[in-house]
Amino acid sequence: MKPKVFKNIVVAVAYKKIYRRLGYRDNLTRLSLAQRNKIEGYINEALGLLRVKGMSLRLRITKNDCERILLSQRVVFKSKSLALLLRDSREALLMAVTCGNKIMRAIKKYTGGDDMVAAVVFDAVASEVSDAGLDWLMGYYNQQLLREKKYLTSKRFSCGYGDFTLENQKLIYRLLKLKSIGIRITRDCLLIPEKSVSAVAGIKNNI
Amino acid sequence: MDKKTILRFLKKKVLLLDGATGTQLFSRGMPHDVCPEAWCLKNPEVIKSVHADYQQAGSDIIYAATFGANRLKLKQFGLTNVREINRKLTRLAREAVKNKTMIAGDIGSTGHFVQPFGDLGFEDATDIFKEQIRGLLEGGADLLVIETMMDIQEARAALIAARELTDKFIMVTMTFDKTGRTINGTDPRTALIILQSLGADAVGCNCSTGPKEMLESIRAMKPYATVALVAKPNAGLPKLIGQDTVFTMSAREFSALGKRLVAAGANIIGGCCGTGPAHIAQLRDRLKDVRPLLPVRRSLSALASARKSVIIERNKFFVIGEKINPSGKVLMQKELLKGNFSYLRSLALVQQQAGANFLDVNVGAVNVDENKTMEGAVEVLSVASDLALVIDSSHIKTIESALKIFPGRALVNSISLEDEKIKKLLPLARKFGAMFILLPLSGQGIPRSLSERKKIIKKIYSRARRFGFTKDDIIIDGLAMSMASNPDYGRTTLKTIEWASKSFKSSVVIGLSNISFGLPNRAMINAAFLALARKKGLNLAIADPAVLKAFPNQAAKKIRDPAALVKYFSQVKAQLEAKKPNKSASIESQIAKAVLDGDKDAVVSLVNSGLRQGKNAYQLIESTVIPAIIKVGDLFDKKEYFLPQLIASAQTVKKAFALLKPQIKKETFAKDNKSLIILATVKGDIHDIGKNIVSLILESNGFKVLDLGKDVSAAKIIAAAKNYRPSVIGLSALMTTTMLRMKEVIILAQKQGLKTKFMVGGAVVNATYARSIKATYAQNATEAVRVIRKLT
Repeated sequence: MKPKVFKNIVVAVAYKKIYRRLGYRDNLTRLSLAQRNKIEGYINEALGLLRVKGMSLRLRITKNDCERILLSQRVVFKSKSLALLLRDSREALLMAVTCGNKIMRAIKKYTGGDDMVAAVVFDAVASEVSDAGLDWLMGYYNQQLLREKKYLTSKRFSCGYGDFTLENQKLIYRLLKLKSIGIRITRDCLLIPEKSVSAVAGIKNNI
Repeated sequence: MDKKTILRFLKKKVLLLDGATGTQLFSRGMPHDVCPEAWCLKNPEVIKSVHADYQQAGSDIIYAATFGANRLKLKQFGLTNVREINRKLTRLAREAVKNKTMIAGDIGSTGHFVQPFGDLGFEDATDIFKEQIRGLLEGGADLLVIETMMDIQEARAALIAARELTDKFIMVTMTFDKTGRTINGTDPRTALIILQSLGADAVGCNCSTGPKEMLESIRAMKPYATVALVAKPNAGLPKLIGQDTVFTMSAREFSALGKRLVAAGANIIGGCCGTGPAHIAQLRDRLKDVRPLLPVRRSLSALASARKSVIIERNKFFVIGEKINPSGKVLMQKELLKGNFSYLRSLALVQQQAGANFLDVNVGAVNVDENKTMEGAVEVLSVASDLALVIDSSHIKTIESALKIFPGRALVNSISLEDEKIKKLLPLARKFGAMFILLPLSGQGIPRSLSERKKIIKKIYSRARRFGFTKDDIIIDGLAMSMASNPDYGRTTLKTIEWASKSFKSSVVIGLSNISFGLPNRAMINAAFLALARKKGLNLAIADPAVLKAFPNQAAKKIRDPAALVKYFSQVKAQLEAKKPNKSASIESQIAKAVLDGDKDAVVSLVNSGLRQGKNAYQLIESTVIPAIIKVGDLFDKKEYFLPQLIASAQTVKKAFALLKPQIKKETFAKDNKSLIILATVKGDIHDIGKNIVSLILESNGFKVLDLGKDVSAAKIIAAAKNYRPSVIGLSALMTTTMLRMKEVIILAQKQGLKTKFMVGGAVVNATYARSIKATYAQNATEAVRVIRKLT
């Protein structure tokens, strides 16, 4: 089974969410029009640099003994919390999303060039967009699965959370062929560009 | 059965579709994870019984079981005989229902997103659909249905492919989720506008939601529909019962809501997932004597991107953003030559934010491959912006490339009476459902008088009508020319606008900035002329939305003639008055305000001015700058400021320090110099934005910071500590795995006898963990300042 490529994910980002990520609180934070214009200028510039790509792969679950999940293609994940998430699932959906290199280069440029405001706004935009990218992938699969009388778990799990160790990212990286969408992985299992995220969700039958 | 007959039926009755095919096949023994089309061919009696049951229940139209019978879906099951499978399945449907019920050749998604949203090229997609449609037509389908589309571009590709092969009745239904949009953000009205302009005979929605939720979609479409509307909902929303998720809506409840769908404007109705013959039979009974609501419009003036549609009303005003045009813009030309579209994307968003309703896209420049570049630009803008595009090129091929891949309803800029253009562009605009700007040029020079312009407009319109265009599909160009050489040009433009709007009753546009070319104070002249033109009926302008916003057209209220307008503005000094500093406030309070406002440009001139006035640099730091940044920290802690404001203030302080510190006598500074802090993101962690913020805030509070960067080993941190003897070492980590490296650094420091104190922070770090490794925790940058003050 080959991973599915999503070349251009359309993520509708609410500016409000970006503001919240930066610490803005309704009815508390005071912002002048000039400051707001400047920040929104940065948000627009950041959005201009993003191209959200994704990969996904459906794998059959052959065994789940509450500690280890065995998948087709001889894939094994060891994690009690992931096993719990996938308890009633027949398949696992592996997915990853990246915002690309351009935004990271711009963040670096602004940090070095003495404009940290731009750097943090860019960082917040990219973080928000990468999360929204995974939401989009799950939304897409939920609609596709309906016709197969299947559906997706409402939650997803990422490496590094609970007992689902970061080392699993190497396996996900290989299975999803993330190199093909410009993602690298470090020795410490971090995805590069930094604003790249991966996750696992379950696919259940029964509708 | 032909299209005319179906259209005749639709005037008299609500047409009834079938219910779910998949649900019925599963309940009649089809296993999971098989190819449904191949299974139906192997079990013809089962699929025929499904069709026959729906016919029995009262369906006027049943769908052949060809939903996934396209090249890409069949390939997943190792099947390649696409045409044959479609032909056979359509014939099976005919055998089941004979000629008493109409058969729709069913076209579903390929499972791929189409360019610009996905990896499937637009032409590849149309080829794939054509292959399937040929099989359906050979099998004897009476009509076609393109259904369960979640990508408007895939629906466009399928519809364009179908229209190239047949003039049969075509229905297109999109699938909208609970938010009322497709996964890529297309709303029902937008889908309707795009699809009806491309020649769909009926448009609507199926799957994803139940009839109750679908009511909203039908209501949103009806006022704008020129075609019949289709509703094919699921049997409600799926519910979790025990371990099973099931559709629970009864046939009775479904049919009651079905009747409401018809009352909202649905002309063709059926059922999707979870429905069966019983649902259709109940619908038949309920709808027996119900008269359909016919489409309320014959045509509609509207443009759409994939995610937003705008109805062009003549009593409202719309701005077409003009800035995506490389003419005279060296930077844009360079970027386009490199094939880099980031700049275009930002320009689109900036214009959208400034109030543009549509975006003009022109990429013509020396050495630029215009076709390829236009395609790239349209791809990027379709994803980045919500605004419909105005395709601006003098090359027919370039316009065609853009219209093909733009996933909306575009506006062609423009079609004139020039022979080749009118011959080729009218059918092209028709094929891709575009509106067009009618440019009153004939290829024999610019028509100077209104009467010449009127003649050309009428000729072009008469030719356009032959292709089915109405006045709603065109926008007349008022042909604005520079008044620098002759103010009469302005008068003729105003007369053209008035005639086109009031007599010809069409929308009218001008390229606003043309009017002031070669004149002083262009922005003001443009704004004032715009006000005059709007009084004459202008409802669109190609202009810079930011400039329109910045220059309210006060003068136009008094001036009624273009010549007077030029004279008026030629005499005006248009320089905007720069903000004058508040002279009554002391320099100290102005510097403090600049810090609070994060105004790093203002602080430079204020500090320089303070120093010229003989202010003591040390005092300015201690009594003005530091208290101001402390106040900023307090406001941040109270959430009255958020992160960008905190950082802007810190950067302002840094600028002030850079000017003030060199002025301070060394001995004065040395006696109160703050301690050195070493900062690092630990080994294995590449996230450094938080650490960089802490560094900046510490510096702006007067601390010296040595930032070792990210992914720094314990050995390197300890070596630096031995060398520089800092008061505190600050460590940052974002991941649970890398957080553990903080402990390694502290243990190494202890082993080497270093007494330095440690401060730690980062997304996953907390106070308990910090205590466990004998460090102090700081939650954010302002707390880091307090922690450092305590530790030093």
